[in-house]
Amino acid sequence: MIEAKNIDFYYGDFHALKNISMRMETNTVTAFIGPSGCGKSTFLRLFNRMNDLIPATRLTGECLIDGRNIYDRSVNVDELRKNVGMVFQKPNPFPKSIFENVAYGLRVNGVRDKRFIREKVEESLIGAALWDEVKDKLKKSAYELSGGQQQRLCIARALAVSPSVLLMDEPASALDPISTSKIEELIHSLKERYTIVIVTHNMQQAARVSDKTGFFMLGELIEFNDTKKIFLNPDKIETQNYITGRFG
Amino acid sequence: MTHKRTNQRIAFWTLRLLGLLVVAILLWILGFIVYHGIGVINWEFLTTAPTDGMTGGGIFPAIVGTCCLIVGSMIVAFPLGVMSAIYTTEYAGNGKIVRFIRIMTNNLGSIPSIIFGLFGMSLFVNALGFGDSIIAGSFTLGLLALPLVIRTTEEALKAVPDSYRTGSLALGASKLQTIWKVVLPSAFPNISTGLILAIGRVSGETAPILFTAAAYFLPKLPSSIYDQVMALPYHLYVIATSGTDLEATRPIAYGTALVLIVIVLAMNLLASLLRRHFGKKVKTN
Amino acid sequence: MKHTEQELALIRDAVSQMWGLVLSQLEKVKQAYLTNDAELAREVCSREKRVDSFELKIDSDCENYIALFSPVAVDLRLVLSLIKICGTLERIADFADGIARHVITGDCEQPTDTLKEELQVAAMFDTVITMLSESFVALESENTRLTGKILAQDATIDTIYHNAINILADFIQKDPSRAVCALQTLLVLRKIERMGDHCSNIVEEIVFYIDAKILKHRKSQE
Repeated sequence: MIEAKNIDFYYGDFHALKNISMRMETNTVTAFIGPSGCGKSTFLRLFNRMNDLIPATRLTGECLIDGRNIYDRSVNVDELRKNVGMVFQKPNPFPKSIFENVAYGLRVNGVRDKRFIREKVEESLIGAALWDEVKDKLKKSAYELSGGQQQRLCIARALAVSPSVLLMDEPASALDPISTSKIEELIHSLKERYTIVIVTHNMQQAARVSDKTGFFMLGELIEFNDTKKIFLNPDKIETQNYITGRFG
Repeated sequence: MTHKRTNQRIAFWTLRLLGLLVVAILLWILGFIVYHGIGVINWEFLTTAPTDGMTGGGIFPAIVGTCCLIVGSMIVAFPLGVMSAIYTTEYAGNGKIVRFIRIMTNNLGSIPSIIFGLFGMSLFVNALGFGDSIIAGSFTLGLLALPLVIRTTEEALKAVPDSYRTGSLALGASKLQTIWKVVLPSAFPNISTGLILAIGRVSGETAPILFTAAAYFLPKLPSSIYDQVMALPYHLYVIATSGTDLEATRPIAYGTALVLIVIVLAMNLLASLLRRHFGKKVKTN
Repeated sequence: MKHTEQELALIRDAVSQMWGLVLSQLEKVKQAYLTNDAELAREVCSREKRVDSFELKIDSDCENYIALFSPVAVDLRLVLSLIKICGTLERIADFADGIARHVITGDCEQPTDTLKEELQVAAMFDTVITMLSESFVALESENTRLTGKILAQDATIDTIYHNAINILADFIQKDPSRAVCALQTLLVLRKIERMGDHCSNIVEEIVFYIDAKILKHRKSQE
């Protein structure tokens, strides 16, 4: 379970997230929607501390994963990121073979057992619904795959280190509709084993894949509720205006 | 209207002719050297030492010496340059220190090479007591090549997409692992291009080795890094200016020049081939 | 099967169950009416609540499906027609419930079995049941070949109904003291006739879903 308590986040002087609190249950898909620059991606990146890479940022409040504050000094960031996988907007496989891409996370985390790595790579590729398409060309460069396949490879890469949480930052926005629907199917099947948080520009996608939806605007969490509720009968007029396209 | 068009044509043809002129000059130099030097090039010339007071024989010790200096200077410049480039691009952010380092690196690159020679002589030859030697020459040439290596490595590292870095970090890799396993392998083609350019630069330099490594005449090959060596550029200078019989050695001088220029051009060609090869690969991404 | 298809299949499943329930309501109310079985009629009334809750559930499932999956083309037609079909099924069940109540209250003497036979009440019930079960088959098999045949049966019901009006008019003239009973019997028959119309509407929705043809309000041309 992921829990945010009174999160405030600043880029320099810019107040990017304003007093956000929410809970994301285990084995559910939570979607964040909202206009560009509303802070949804920033919020997502708090949970694997990717914002640490940006200089001059400041955070107050608590981020808990399974009850533990991930911004506590005792937390090892590398361990955290192993547990909280991330898939990015643009597929970003490494310029290595398909196999090595998936094995990478294991190798950097000190796994040496070749048989274990092989099994884990296969398991992860199966989990990412890519195995059948690549099993005969694991040695080929990842860049020989199509965009959609590359993105599933990136998902497999994240699965290989056995995370419990998967963060997805607009995972399908660079893909064609068929690849998109494959990724959405995949997300739906992955929720049995992972807690998934997805940021998306595409409201329909949020509706299709998520159990809960949070609507962000100008750094605030306007509404957080069951996806069905948000899309059928949102509580807030801002949410309604946004999802019906009357925003602005 | 026609007036405008005439001007346009004049400008176009002037610029085109100037451009062609540059090519013509280069071809002229090359042609000149090949014409005069090709006659003496043969297997014996490339594999024997000079004889008869440098009016005969070959240039083998000079080729070997230049190779030694190239390898030595790269051993000095490459790790140092790559590491400092990694520091400035990957670790240091964009603070004052980095800007300072960058300015200094550029300054280092604009220092005349004869001054490197003087500096190398006083530090490596005298103060550190290496004497005129391969090691002293390598350090001096290494320093000369350092700015070039740093700059090309920096550019190579910057050309690596950030998404590789974030992707790697997001999998729980440390920064060092990310650099070592993802960034450097992807930057390697471009880094090696820079290395080759540096080799081209170093192999043609005379001034830095003048006081630090090069021997006037040395019929035997070096046996350790503390030995003096002959080197192609210096050998060329010597036989062109201070031989016993300048007229007789003129063809040998052209032959030496040809060998040197072929080495430098080959390096440049290799660099641009590498760049084009990997450039293509990047595009298909 | 894809996630969206699964969701749609679940809705179809619920509609099938509701369909089965309504069919069994019809069977039971037919039995109850023909045999004056108040017990069976009460059962029909109590099960009416289940039909209502099916309607509510399917309605909200369809709303959610549209809200979440924004269906288009065949999926959109299916959901739209399922919403309408389940509303229509509920109204058919309502009529069944009304007839059952008539049997229970029995506030006037029921028509005799011979009259019922003369009125062809059983045949009317049977035709409605046939229409409803055949249209279910048409939906399940996604086949519109049968629909013409199903729609034609509505005419049979109408004929029986119009005959019945004449028969009951005669009946009232013969024995004016039992006019109320005759009129109430007519109301029952009227309900059955309306059921037939609703069955036609269901068939039209099925045709809209499968062939995207609109059959409504085209009777004059046929």
